[in-house]
Amino acid sequence: MIKLVDVNAYYQDFHVLKNVSLEVKKGQVVVMLGPNGHGKSTVLKSICGLVEKVTGLMEYESENITGMGSEKLVNMGITYIAENRELFPQMTVLENLKLGAYSRSARSHEKDNLEKVFDLFPRLRDRQSQSAATMSGGEARMLAIARGLMSNARFLAIDEPSLGLQPNLRDEVAKIIKQINAQGITLLVVEQNIPQITTLADKLYVLEEGRISFEGSREDALGNDHLKEIFLGM
Amino acid sequence: MIFEIADVIISGLINGSVYALMAVGLTLIYGVSKAFNFAYGSFYSLGGYIAFLLFGLSFINNYFLVFLLAVPILLVFGYFVEKALVAPLRKRDDWEIKVMMITLGLALFLDNSFQVIFGSRMKSLPPFLEGSFEAGDFYLSHQDVGIFFLSIGGILMFRWFLNNTRTGMSVRAVAQNPAGAQIVGIPKEFVFAATFAISTVMVGMGGILLAQKYFITPMGGWDILVKAWVITAFGGMGSIRGGLYAAFIVGMLESFVGWYFGMTWTLIVLFAVLLTTLAVRPQGLMGKWG
Repeated sequence: MIKLVDVNAYYQDFHVLKNVSLEVKKGQVVVMLGPNGHGKSTVLKSICGLVEKVTGLMEYESENITGMGSEKLVNMGITYIAENRELFPQMTVLENLKLGAYSRSARSHEKDNLEKVFDLFPRLRDRQSQSAATMSGGEARMLAIARGLMSNARFLAIDEPSLGLQPNLRDEVAKIIKQINAQGITLLVVEQNIPQITTLADKLYVLEEGRISFEGSREDALGNDHLKEIFLGM
Repeated sequence: MIFEIADVIISGLINGSVYALMAVGLTLIYGVSKAFNFAYGSFYSLGGYIAFLLFGLSFINNYFLVFLLAVPILLVFGYFVEKALVAPLRKRDDWEIKVMMITLGLALFLDNSFQVIFGSRMKSLPPFLEGSFEAGDFYLSHQDVGIFFLSIGGILMFRWFLNNTRTGMSVRAVAQNPAGAQIVGIPKEFVFAATFAISTVMVGMGGILLAQKYFITPMGGWDILVKAWVITAFGGMGSIRGGLYAAFIVGMLESFVGWYFGMTWTLIVLFAVLLTTLAVRPQGLMGKWG
């Protein structure tokens, strides 16, 4: 569904991604691990059209999407869910969700998706008219994920969903990711604080210093002492 | 005495309402794009001159037609100014300063064009309502009432637009979180241009409304730019609600100072109030830091 071949990404003159190649197949959950500041977010943002300078080849369902902006990509079904959530603070929960369905292709599904999202996060249904700025970290995280789902995406890039969450909410995040995937949405997730998410993964990638240093199943990773210790916390 | 004070209050309310319309427009551009439009005052004069030209056409004999034609003209003008002059700068370093410089240049260009085309003599517009309410010494012209309600109507329409339309919501989204707006797929470039266009309509409408009471002159926009700026800074940069309160406070203040001390004192007092406010509350009445 998503394929990257020799992708390089830059912030101004800073070379962040170096010849990154990866593939996410339809229906899969792929998890990316790696030290902080080595470019994991940049991989997700590049795919979602949020990085200005990207070279190489990126494909979505065999279509070349290199250089396309987020307006186009969201409309095609590719959505990014930010680690720092990027909500609209002075708007209500409902307004945030409605803006999640901004793209043309999402508008006609707005009502259905709103119901789906409220079923997934019942607490958001109760807090529809509360402003996003007054929500707790956990609720804001749920809202960010819910807003991403409103775009009617078929591919979601979820960036560190555990960031700023209390440990007891991490299980819930893993459960939600499983439910989202069960709805047929393909996922690329950056997350290493929730071991349950790596167990969901069809494939793992490790990104170090802007390069893919490992690609394989969780079992392969467990056989690798370096990875086991650093990223899987075992 | 009592009627005199009533007059002063009414005049403050009326000017305040038009200032509110114009200041909200300036606050809007600042809130959404963090750019300051120095040509804002010249757009005020432009509104007046467009109305003046429209009245020169034989088939136009009422304000309804003038507004019907002036609004789209201002909208298109604002949109293209943003696309042609402001948007290309946004990709550069220090673009905020560059936007100030280029809009300052545009202001001078427009003002001098007005001077060449229309001459430096004052132009006036016919009042859009005749007649008045009178009771004893009390006098209130229908025109003033009309200006008040049109300004308030304009602000309410704008509020409705921001809260209830998709484009309006995307404008608020970009103002609150540009990165978030990009993530949900809002075309930022379009929102910037649309915002600029809408604010051009608001100040241009203000120009048409006030031109009936005062006059249109080539340099008349600078006074308005200064006032709109004072209101915006006083109310809090980027806060629409703050801008509304500040506009009425400034309108009242101007009116009372003008009546009690004389018109020459109004700007001095305005700046004194602005400086005092900013010394105590640098973020303005209702502004936020950053």
